[in-house]
Amino acid sequence: MFIIAIFLLLILFAILSFAIKESSWKIATLESLLILILTMVYGILRFTGYNGGFMSSYSYAIDTSIGISFTVGVSALSMALLFLSAVIMFIAIFVSGREKFDRSFYGLMLTTELGLYGLLISRNFLFFYVFWEAIIIPVFMLISIYGGAGKEKAALKFFVYTQIGSVFLLLSILTLFSFYGTANHVFTLNMSKLLDSSFIIKYISEPQPFWTDFLLFGFFFSFLVKMPSFPLHSWLPDAYTSAPYPVSIVLAGAISLMGGYGFFAVLLPIAPVIGSGIAWAIIILGIFSLVYFALVAMFQTDMKRMMAYASAASMGFISISLGIGILSTGYIAYLAVSGGIFQILAHGLIMGLVFSSLYIIKNTSGSQSNLTLSGLFREMPIISTFFLAGIMASLGLPGLAGFIAEASIVLASYQVIGYIIFFIIFGMIITASYHVWTVQKSLNGPYNENLGKLKDGTMMEIAVLSFLFIIILILGIYPSLFYHMILVYVKGVF
Amino acid sequence: MFSYAWFIFLVPIIFAPVSAFAGWRRKVYGGIVASLAIAVSFILAVLVYFNISNTRVPIYQSFNWFGNIDAGIYIDHLAIIMALMVSFVSLMIHLFALYYMKDDPRQNIYFGETALFTGGMLGLILSSNLLEFFLFWELVGLCSYLLVGFWFFKPNAASAAKKAFIVTRVGDLLFIIGLAILYSLLTSINVSSPLSIPYLISNAPAIAKEIGAQNLTIIGLLFLGGAAGKSAQFPLHVWIPDAMEGPTTVSALIHAATMVTAGVYLIARVLPLYSNATYIAPDAVLFVGAFTAMFAGTLGIVMNDLKRILAYSTISQIGYMMASLGMVSVIGDSVIGFSIYHLVVHAVFKALLFMTAGAILIALMELRDVRRMGGLWKKMPVTVTLMFIGSITLAAIPPTAAYFSKDTIIDAAYMYYIRSGANIYSVLPWIFLVIGALMTSLYTFRMFYLVALGKPRSKLAEEAKDPPIIALIPLMALAFLSLTLGIVQYPFYNFIHPNTIHVSVPLIVKYTPLTMVVIGILVIAGVYGTGMWKKMDLSKNIAYRILRAKYYLDYLFTRVIAERAILPLSSGFARMERGFSRDIEATGSGAMGFGSMLRRIQNGIVEYYFVFLIIGIAVIMLILEITGGL
Repeated sequence: MFIIAIFLLLILFAILSFAIKESSWKIATLESLLILILTMVYGILRFTGYNGGFMSSYSYAIDTSIGISFTVGVSALSMALLFLSAVIMFIAIFVSGREKFDRSFYGLMLTTELGLYGLLISRNFLFFYVFWEAIIIPVFMLISIYGGAGKEKAALKFFVYTQIGSVFLLLSILTLFSFYGTANHVFTLNMSKLLDSSFIIKYISEPQPFWTDFLLFGFFFSFLVKMPSFPLHSWLPDAYTSAPYPVSIVLAGAISLMGGYGFFAVLLPIAPVIGSGIAWAIIILGIFSLVYFALVAMFQTDMKRMMAYASAASMGFISISLGIGILSTGYIAYLAVSGGIFQILAHGLIMGLVFSSLYIIKNTSGSQSNLTLSGLFREMPIISTFFLAGIMASLGLPGLAGFIAEASIVLASYQVIGYIIFFIIFGMIITASYHVWTVQKSLNGPYNENLGKLKDGTMMEIAVLSFLFIIILILGIYPSLFYHMILVYVKGVF
Repeated sequence: MFSYAWFIFLVPIIFAPVSAFAGWRRKVYGGIVASLAIAVSFILAVLVYFNISNTRVPIYQSFNWFGNIDAGIYIDHLAIIMALMVSFVSLMIHLFALYYMKDDPRQNIYFGETALFTGGMLGLILSSNLLEFFLFWELVGLCSYLLVGFWFFKPNAASAAKKAFIVTRVGDLLFIIGLAILYSLLTSINVSSPLSIPYLISNAPAIAKEIGAQNLTIIGLLFLGGAAGKSAQFPLHVWIPDAMEGPTTVSALIHAATMVTAGVYLIARVLPLYSNATYIAPDAVLFVGAFTAMFAGTLGIVMNDLKRILAYSTISQIGYMMASLGMVSVIGDSVIGFSIYHLVVHAVFKALLFMTAGAILIALMELRDVRRMGGLWKKMPVTVTLMFIGSITLAAIPPTAAYFSKDTIIDAAYMYYIRSGANIYSVLPWIFLVIGALMTSLYTFRMFYLVALGKPRSKLAEEAKDPPIIALIPLMALAFLSLTLGIVQYPFYNFIHPNTIHVSVPLIVKYTPLTMVVIGILVIAGVYGTGMWKKMDLSKNIAYRILRAKYYLDYLFTRVIAERAILPLSSGFARMERGFSRDIEATGSGAMGFGSMLRRIQNGIVEYYFVFLIIGIAVIMLILEITGGL
């Protein structure tokens, strides 16, 4: 019940934020902080000594004839991502205090969080789909109302892309639903029942292989759009760049988790159905995304855009991890998939740190271009250090969370892809190069005096960014905090 | 039970942020806290040393880190020697840095970073798992990056830091491919903790059998790639000379004594994997090392920057250590002792040389061109005497310690030649190393002559003064060790590896390196002592130009690979990306155009609707007619 209480509280908070006019920033910050704390308490209570399966299972039947029920269940995967969404939302809402946003901004932000929570706890495909859709609307509005230059176009692009993805998702869900109904004469939308590889093999793959391909195509398409992966990414740079910074933080940290969540919550349980051809295609797509986005990012001068591409590049690891998980067995598969799940978490936190420190830099200096920024270490030593820490985490420096994920995937990958691993490494070298290059241009070097006298971050901001950094650091040094339960979950699913 | 040995590396890491904060108001506290933390590490290392040398049982403790990878400490004789060396040399350098950095407004940050570095280096040495090793490996890389760019406002320093990071990163990622191959192969034969160092070194023959010597060779070569990046071996050595832009104490600590030897330590750590691989892996180590020893020496001769001469000298000396390890397939495990002994001796005298260089640079206001120094022995007698001790040790003149450590390696190379069948191929390492000895003598005494002898060649050199004697006490300790460490040569070898073989070669071979040193001194005396060098114009000399351009390797990396290959690829992709985005939008507006065409139809004029209705019915009728539905 605890998790439903949090969920209901979120509904209340979202409504409250729309309603209360005064000091909406403070209230929203406190609300998101409270949600974060409650989520952490929930995680500690339910997930110490976790041994697989779903916690807090609960089901309220709405319409039994077609199997609609409000079914809730939290796996280790969902738990890790609930924690991520809570952290990211708190950070995003907190740093937005730098600008004057009105109450509906915070209402929309909390609605987004509500959608994410709903998505992550639902075990019924109807609600999964509804929340999947529900997240798009507040984000669309956040970009199109509060965004910067080119906001309408960016928002529209985001909306159209993700809508097309959603249509395919719906078609796949309906396919599963109707096949299950015809086979068992019972209609259900329960995810645990529908995502059963023996059912799919017996009733879909063997009699009608076309529909398996259709089904997988729909899932892959919608998840890859959200990820985003090459070539379905063209909404990403515009959306990230045009969105106001707090929304960019949400996009990079929380919205990007949806694709990965779909991968591991929907596709991983039906992994035996996925053929090796598709798995290889996914791996190649992941590697290509990694290298391609890294090379594109290298040529950007706008650091926000650069980090948007960097974010997409590191999502490539998630595709690689799923593919390797499908193609291998035993510990290699566990490590690859756990690495992929850990990567969603790490990537979100790291992007939160990068974009929030970049936001403070942009807000103080008025620039986010590494052509005009130079020698920021002199004027803003602390925020620059946080930005540097984010950059280092983003390029996969050991000791920080991203490394654990990337190392798991890279270590496991040789078994499956052999010397193709060199392409991953090539991508990582490019990644390291442009990350360090942009630090050299923006933080190091002589200070650009035209920027005038700048003020470093406030004490509160430093405290919040330190909190975020410490999470990243702890996850890098003692990953078992999450890694262990993820591993248990993965072993259970396979 | 939780061993106190963990604190050897934990104390400096924990006290790194403490020292940065302690120095927030009173700057000097930062340095004091950092030095104390490292002193604690050193004392703990001494305690562990006595513990181990009595029992001869390694300390090994580990816990599960993630997945089937564990982390912990593994302290055997090799590790404790390294830990002693690193904590001692680091302590000396920290003490000198209290003087060297005393006027820097960000010195608390400096000491925080160096303490973190020292902790990372000690962690690397004590790691019990290769992935944990890699974590510390990158941590020291990060500290190196931060400290090279410590004076971030200098464009050269910023650029050098970037270069150091990227070049070593290339090596690091080769290393991690090696780890991936090792991990995948071992996990698939159900090894419970595949990357654990004690497991790897005690089961190397069985591993070679299980996964094949061929695979082990590939792993060895990839590890060598990582080691070459970190230890600045050919062709990944290009970052070290630039890294001299950092504070001189950083060069002494990181780029001379400790971090750059991490690659040697890596190979020494997993040497059983090399001796069980095919001959290609150890031979690659041998040839890379020996070639680098000679190659870097040639570059040291033409440099005019005091610190860069020392940097090339470091590269060259690490080449000796690498070469020694590469002889494992023929000489056996004794080579670890030869290599690590030279490593320790080198750390001592190179730290000394860099710190004397630091003292000189302070006196000369960061003037680094040796051609504008001269006559400093009279102006700064104590410092230059210390430098003299460092120089004769570097050149391996008896009875300094390097004479024993380096000549043993050169003699071992001769033994390698004899034992591996005395062919033209196996004599090359010995030749390279002997030429390396000649080069060492040439650049060392050229440097020393230009710095210390003759007449001052600039106003700054005339005004130079010794730093306060108290600041030089750490240097004196190191100078003392440079002169006396030779005594412990064979006990040292036997401590690292019991029953080390005695290297014995014909007398003429034994004195070849020393002859080379003498030739070098004579050449320098002839060219520089007579003042001939001032009249020589080498700018037209083709060999000199190639050397000045550092064999065009930097040109190859930056101008060709980075700027002609990667950057065009990147800009091409970026352009493609923009075009791609535009095409998508064009499709979108195409759809919208279609929509607005449709909107034009819905214009509210009833006649139009009627016409369309008729047309529609006609079309439906037509279709039904054709398909035979009617």
